[in-house]
Amino acid sequence: MRLVIDESRCKGCNLCTLVCPYRIFRPGTKANPRGVIVPELDRPERCANCRLQRLYGRTICGMCQMICPDQAISWEEEGPCEPMKVAIEY
Amino acid sequence: MTFDEWLRVDRLPHIYCAGCGNGTVINCTLSAVDQMGWKKEEIVFVSGIGCSSRAPGYIVTDSLHTTHGRAIAFATGIKMANPDLKVVVFTGDGDLAAIGGNHFIHGCRRNIDLTVICMNNMIYGMTGGQGSPTTPRGALSTTTPYGSSEAAFDLCGLAAAAGANYVARYTSYHVKELTLAIRTGLGNPGFSFIEALVQCPTNYGRRNKLRQVSDQIEYFKSHAILAQKAERMREEGKKIPDDMIIIGELARRNRPALGVRK
Ligand SMILES: Cc1ncc(C[n+]2csc(CCOP(=O)(O)OP(=O)(O)O)c2C)c(N)n1
Ligand code: SF4
Ligand code: SF4
Ligand code: SF4
Ligand SMILES: [Mg+2]
Repeated sequence: MRLVIDESRCKGCNLCTLVCPYRIFRPGTKANPRGVIVPELDRPERCANCRLQRLYGRTICGMCQMICPDQAISWEEEGPCEPMKVAIEY
Repeated sequence: MTFDEWLRVDRLPHIYCAGCGNGTVINCTLSAVDQMGWKKEEIVFVSGIGCSSRAPGYIVTDSLHTTHGRAIAFATGIKMANPDLKVVVFTGDGDLAAIGGNHFIHGCRRNIDLTVICMNNMIYGMTGGQGSPTTPRGALSTTTPYGSSEAAFDLCGLAAAAGANYVARYTSYHVKELTLAIRTGLGNPGFSFIEALVQCPTNYGRRNKLRQVSDQIEYFKSHAILAQKAERMREEGKKIPDDMIIIGELARRNRPALGVRK
């Protein structure tokens, strides 16, 4: 699964940057064509839900999605890809 | 869960300001409804007037956007006409406690089987930031330019005293707890009242030294105290500061409910 922010919905409130235990969301720096400064994602593959949703069959953590007032955060299915090592700090 | 299943995605992004807590309460409510496993045709969302009351317009189920303060009256009508429907009311602090105050009290007294979710931003958001019955003492608004000199309404205390079967309070920071409280309210026969304190960065935060959206969320985080802990402190004779927000389940009982099929 891949964590994505829907830029057509995000209003740049930065609430997601407050709640992620891995600090994946960082306040953005550049306004998009709608004039919204969308947060940047720092190594989103560390997200607990990206890694574990399949295994547990339900949303894991999901704090960013719940608090996002603009329903802008979701997870996309990914196509087949090369295995990759993900470093996770506990 | 996927919100998009319950949302009228063609209506998004919604009209709420950036960082408005109402959007978070919509997430929690839809998540709770989804967990109940109800079909979309079984639920009706009802609201009055205000920013908070725009919420049903973004949800795919049937809904009624009624007149200011009258959401509970309309919802009572729906429930009495067809008790098989699950009726959920979205309301604001002004809508519920000012112009709609009497409907609220009598809804609780009748213990009519509704779930009422109040997005309490402590202000009239939609009309530009006038003081509401829940504006805290000392808070600035356009109608209290020197700070409100009145005491604020304790909406949960009111609901519990008037007879509601289930009463709980959380904030837009406590998303998991709020979702669980709404789910409990949905499953509980009788009047279920869930108060969600929400940030209104535009009309409340901006005037009350909580300029950033995060300031109000940090405030909720640092000023919330669980009902059980508050009770313990009272027993120990400790004083709970006036600005603390008591969160948690505040009433759950089994008074006879109206609008439930026997
Ligand atoms: C009968 C009537 N009186 C007054 C108004 C103006 N009015 C619209 S919204 C509102 C206050 C809403 O406050 P609240 O319920 O707290 O909702 P919020 O916008 O804060 O979510 C008022 C007074 C109205 N629409 N109808
Ligand atoms: S919480 Fe949602 S709307 Fe706010 S910045 Fe993050 S993605 Fe954007
Ligand atoms: S689901 Fe949790 S871990 Fe994943 S990005 Fe959101 S807040 Fe961070
Ligand atoms: S005025 Fe306040 S309550 Fe209304 S949409 Fe803006 S932030 Fe939300
Ligand atoms: Mg209000």
